Amino acid sequence: MRMQTRILALAAIAALAPAALAQGFVPTRPVEVVVHTGPGGGNDVLARAIAVIAEKEHLLPVRMQVVNRPGGNGNLSMAYVAEKRGDPNTIGLFTANMLTVYLVSPEAKVTVRDLTPIARLVLEPAVIAVKADAPYKTLADFIEAAKKNPGQLKQSGGSITSRDNVVRQLLQKATGTRWAYISFPGGGERIAALLGGHVDLMVIEPEEAGEHIRAGSMRVLAQVSEHRLPGYPNVPTLKEAGFDVPAVPQIRGVVAPPGIPKENIAYWEDFFRRLTLTVSWKKYLQDNQFEDGYQNSAELAKFFDSFTGQLRDILKEAGVKTVR
Amino acid sequence: MEVLTSLAHGFAVALEPGNLLWCFVGVFLGTIVGVLPGLGPPATIAMLLPLTFHMNPAGAIIMLAGIYYGAKYGGSTTSILLNVPGESASVVTCIDGYQMARNGRAGAALGIAAIASFVAGTVGVVGLMLIAPPVARFALSFSSPEYFALMSLGLALVVLLAGRSLVKALLAALVGLWISSIGTDLFSATSRFVFGTMDLLSGIDFIVVAIGLFAIGEVLANMETREEAQMIAVPKGLRNLLPTWQDLKDCRFAFLNGSIVGFFVGVLPGGGSTIASFLSYGLEKAVSRRREQFGKGVVEGVAAPEGANNSETGGALVPLLTLGIPGSGTTAILLAALVLWGFKPGPLFIPENPDLFWGLVASMYIGNVMLLVLNLPLVPLFAQVLRLPPYVMYPIILGVSVVGVYSESGSLFGLALLAGFGLLGYLMRKIDYPSAPLILGLALGGGMERALRQSLMMSEGNLSILVSRPISAAILSLAGLVLLIPLFNKVNAWRLQALEQE
Repeated sequence: MRMQTRILALAAIAALAPAALAQGFVPTRPVEVVVHTGPGGGNDVLARAIAVIAEKEHLLPVRMQVVNRPGGNGNLSMAYVAEKRGDPNTIGLFTANMLTVYLVSPEAKVTVRDLTPIARLVLEPAVIAVKADAPYKTLADFIEAAKKNPGQLKQSGGSITSRDNVVRQLLQKATGTRWAYISFPGGGERIAALLGGHVDLMVIEPEEAGEHIRAGSMRVLAQVSEHRLPGYPNVPTLKEAGFDVPAVPQIRGVVAPPGIPKENIAYWEDFFRRLTLTVSWKKYLQDNQFEDGYQNSAELAKFFDSFTGQLRDILKEAGVKTVR
Repeated sequence: MEVLTSLAHGFAVALEPGNLLWCFVGVFLGTIVGVLPGLGPPATIAMLLPLTFHMNPAGAIIMLAGIYYGAKYGGSTTSILLNVPGESASVVTCIDGYQMARNGRAGAALGIAAIASFVAGTVGVVGLMLIAPPVARFALSFSSPEYFALMSLGLALVVLLAGRSLVKALLAALVGLWISSIGTDLFSATSRFVFGTMDLLSGIDFIVVAIGLFAIGEVLANMETREEAQMIAVPKGLRNLLPTWQDLKDCRFAFLNGSIVGFFVGVLPGGGSTIASFLSYGLEKAVSRRREQFGKGVVEGVAAPEGANNSETGGALVPLLTLGIPGSGTTAILLAALVLWGFKPGPLFIPENPDLFWGLVASMYIGNVMLLVLNLPLVPLFAQVLRLPPYVMYPIILGVSVVGVYSESGSLFGLALLAGFGLLGYLMRKIDYPSAPLILGLALGGGMERALRQSLMMSEGNLSILVSRPISAAILSLAGLVLLIPLFNKVNAWRLQALEQE
């Protein structure tokens, strides 16, 4: 935990640093952006979008180079960033999953919290969808049905530590119901299971669901979001639908290796703040129906702490063995 | 009629000089990517993605798709010549392809691979063009129990991949199944067999094992016999480097089998070209009259899997374009590309973007012809590689293997695994264990376990879900039949023996 305080302290200084300080460092060789997925994964696409926007808006004097470090459920990429201690030309992207993996895998030796928080960028909301010909018109209908047939209804989703399951756990706890959760490794398989009528419900990204709704094959019951999304003006949020559970977003952001000088933190913080203000970035968020989740280094450090605590409770509740 | 007008319109799009050029760039890059082990289409497409923002979308999708199906052509090259599978879909091609090369028929093997790819690739596009929507709806009726049945059918093929001893083959398959269980369990997030290392948390990559067992194992085994390490004969004359009419005739069924199996497995979101290639190889062997010669270098053993993995691309585009559902790594990145260009992939994609869809379909016909023209002349050239003396050849194989695995895993740990599996391959050769069943077990194990557990979650632990659904029941019965094949062989042998004695 000492590392934690040190990062917090560093981050606090960086947050207070005047803009002039940021001038102290400018990258001179191509910047490595480390992602934990193979090409085409969520963070890989995000990294490449950032690289394109940075180039288009002339935000960076050097090129950004995406480095794929898949494996170890995200741990290998974090270990790679950690090994680059003090290197100002390397940054990495994280997702909330990396916080979860650390909680459940005893083998995970490096955590996002050992790295230097730079910025939180994106919050990805979700919607709760059923097949269009399902009898449930509202989330309350579904919950009612789940109450009548405990354990009979099914939800398709990702691994047990994914956001899909976290949302289910929260809903089950709030309503005293339970239904089955079936993990599929690929997003395509999850949708196919719903459209084929093999499962009853899924938590899906708004953009993905949009086309199936327009084609009349899917219906959205509620949105996992604090505010109604522009693409879903007539669908209630979880709170509006009468379920007082936190709207858990998928979170993506930036970290840097541990032990980098404070002017480097300030440089990257400033870079990403300017990036999030560009028109191209706003369009990127809008096209994907993401929410702007910008937080600076100090805020992100605090967020890591509170979110990890929240996740630990949820996972324990779900019967997942936590090791930390 | 409507199809023909649309197709004509599609050709008008695909034949625009710009799009024609992008089609060529795509299939050319695809061929190169396919030949190089390790660097696969998903990585290439992801790297090129930023460049496509400045292109018109039709040209861009034509190029990216060209990389996708073009890579399937090149994938067989290193399998046949070096016993190094270029990608997971070409692992099966090693079995007979490399043996053909050792028999001096490398040219024929490479040629038939290109022809099978062309035929099946084209059939795949025809399927995509004519029956995409109904087939996509059919694919949705497949869920976990059906996938489990399909994987069981694949695993049953182990009895066909066995060499002299069925017991040894089954043991090897079990080791493969065990390796597939290493890593983090999807359902409980528990680590299994990771021995406290982070490197094993996401499991062992199939291609590392395949390259280790096949290529490194082969090199090690051959080094022993170095005093008599004679070089593989490469026949002189262009005519002897290409497949003969007899080869083509032998492959008639393989072309059909590869085309159909590949397309239908491709359509299933949980399928994939690896399973398609194994299934069509197994099917080919099951119905063949010269079953005992499989594994010793028969031309159908190359044509069926190579056909299947090409026709699979046409199939895999069906759920992507008609439903917006990606079934594999490559189609997932194509989906991301479509979204980034501002399209909305989903059920309405084709009706709302007819230019793009029909242009793509037409470009795939053109691209397949380009690939045939590009690949056939390369055959004699590639076949010359085998003229190299062993002291040049083996280091090349080792080098290609190491580069391939490193570019895939990006870690030294991957290379350590490669060395480990190379030694295992050598050991298995020494004690006469077949390596193909191990690979088969590994390729199917993960998906099979997942499908079984998903099925049981759906049925609340009731095993009858596997046989109460018609498709699943039918496939499982087929798997049962396959398991009986060795028994038929035995009965047949007894019958022949009895006849002789009379």
